[in-house]
Amino acid sequence: MLWATGVAYGYGSAPEALQEAELAAVGGEVVALLGANGAGKTTLLRLLDGQFEPRRGQLRRPPSRTPEGRLAYGFAGEDTPHLDLLSGWENARFFARAAGLDRASAEAAVGDLLARLALLAEAHRPVAEYSFGARRKLALLEALAHRPSVLLLDEPTVGLDSAARAALTALLRERSREGAAVVLASHDTAFLEGVADRVVFMARGRTRGGGRPRELVAALGGAARIEMTLAAPISSSPPPRGTGWTVVDGGSPLVVRADAGAAVLPDLCRALAAAGAEVRQVVVRPPDLSEAFRRNVGETLPGVAETAS
Amino acid sequence: MSPLVWALEWRLARRRRRLFLLNVTVPLLLVLAVALASAPVVHAAAVFVVLFVIHPTFGSAVPLVRDAETGMVARMLRGGVPPGAYFLERAAAAALLDTLQLLPAVAVAWWGLGGRGSALLPLLAGLVLALWTANLTGILVAAVARSVAETALFAAVAALLLLHASGVFRTGPPGSVAASFEGAAPFRLLHEALLASGSALPTAGVWAALIWAAALPGVVLLLAPRIGVGLAGVALRRSM
Repeated sequence: MLWATGVAYGYGSAPEALQEAELAAVGGEVVALLGANGAGKTTLLRLLDGQFEPRRGQLRRPPSRTPEGRLAYGFAGEDTPHLDLLSGWENARFFARAAGLDRASAEAAVGDLLARLALLAEAHRPVAEYSFGARRKLALLEALAHRPSVLLLDEPTVGLDSAARAALTALLRERSREGAAVVLASHDTAFLEGVADRVVFMARGRTRGGGRPRELVAALGGAARIEMTLAAPISSSPPPRGTGWTVVDGGSPLVVRADAGAAVLPDLCRALAAAGAEVRQVVVRPPDLSEAFRRNVGETLPGVAETAS
Repeated sequence: MSPLVWALEWRLARRRRRLFLLNVTVPLLLVLAVALASAPVVHAAAVFVVLFVIHPTFGSAVPLVRDAETGMVARMLRGGVPPGAYFLERAAAAALLDTLQLLPAVAVAWWGLGGRGSALLPLLAGLVLALWTANLTGILVAAVARSVAETALFAAVAALLLLHASGVFRTGPPGSVAASFEGAAPFRLLHEALLASGSALPTAGVWAALIWAAALPGVVLLLAPRIGVGLAGVALRRSM
């Protein structure tokens, strides 16, 4: 349905934001683009949306309208503009109608989504008065309302609370089951693990493999990320070392990657005690997509501690 | 598709009451000042017609470029609004809104120039056709501008050139090349109708005004996809 090979794009004379992207997404599938800022995720989404043409490579997209005359695409970006003088309800109804829904269908679809995304209370207030989160919900609602066969969402969970994230996950799974191809760009790995059928890693303008989230995480074995809150940062340099574990951030919390999981804790605590550190709290995090990304790409996602040299 | 953009523009206009009031008051005060100044009819009519043409040209071009800069034009066109419908419905709503906003000023201008009853109908026809043409001109101006500042400049140049071609600033001797141009220019009807408010002059330029008002939408419709791509690119260039 959506297919890109060797696709490249650059903005003006700046270095190419996308240098070599490979992607295929079919109806009924949720594909996630996972990468750090500047990896080229948004550019690839915009190319898939037809906002501009690739400089190189091949891109195949379905026609912009479905056989029934509805707009085939739904796009929600991080900076989707709205008609700020109008209410969220008026905005959503306008764009649903522009996308090909009749008045009754548009109002029914918008009403349903306003309720599901918990936006009913603000529905009739001008968008100018909306919080960032409410604007984000409205953008998602507008992308979903006309039931497009291709859904392209850029960082859809930014600004959403946990209830809205859960509602969005349910909506995307539902639309995918109905046959829509969903491509989303995010570095929210917890969200992606719950919603994506397939993850495509991206770094520095290139796609760098990927796979099914569960398989990617399972391939990490028992490796865990251990975060230890210390009374004071350890002063020893280089940081303590041991068999089967590596300190990836020597601050507080101290972050340790443990290949054998929590089993390394006794040895780790002894090493820290020897370095004069007082441990206040220990959190053992199971392996996740962030770690899979780091292992596969060799880079770290935002919000995840940098690997020490 | 029902005229969604037309309905949207009216909905937005209802929320901009302050702007509406300003757009009624400011031209009214300007026209009133000239009307009360006992200026010669030729000069006063020239001032009025400049105001009545510049107002819609700017009013069409500048907000369109501003919407392009915020990404709203791209959003509309990607969101399923056909480019032709977007530009024409927007211009039509703006022309009607301009008519309502300028009517008090036009009434004062007509009264200040002599207030002849027979000039009223040509004046209203000239006004509506001029506002429609000026709004469409504004869209074409927006298509070639890359910023609001450029838009203001190009709108002024385009409007003043068309006004000059319409003989507002200088009337060519009968039979001259300039007079031939004036006969085919879009704003001659409005100018002549204003002049005729004070004396029993025949109003010329009816056909030219009608032809411009009928042909310009075709031009905009034909160029709409290109204009749309250009304006959608404004937001992209700003995001670089």
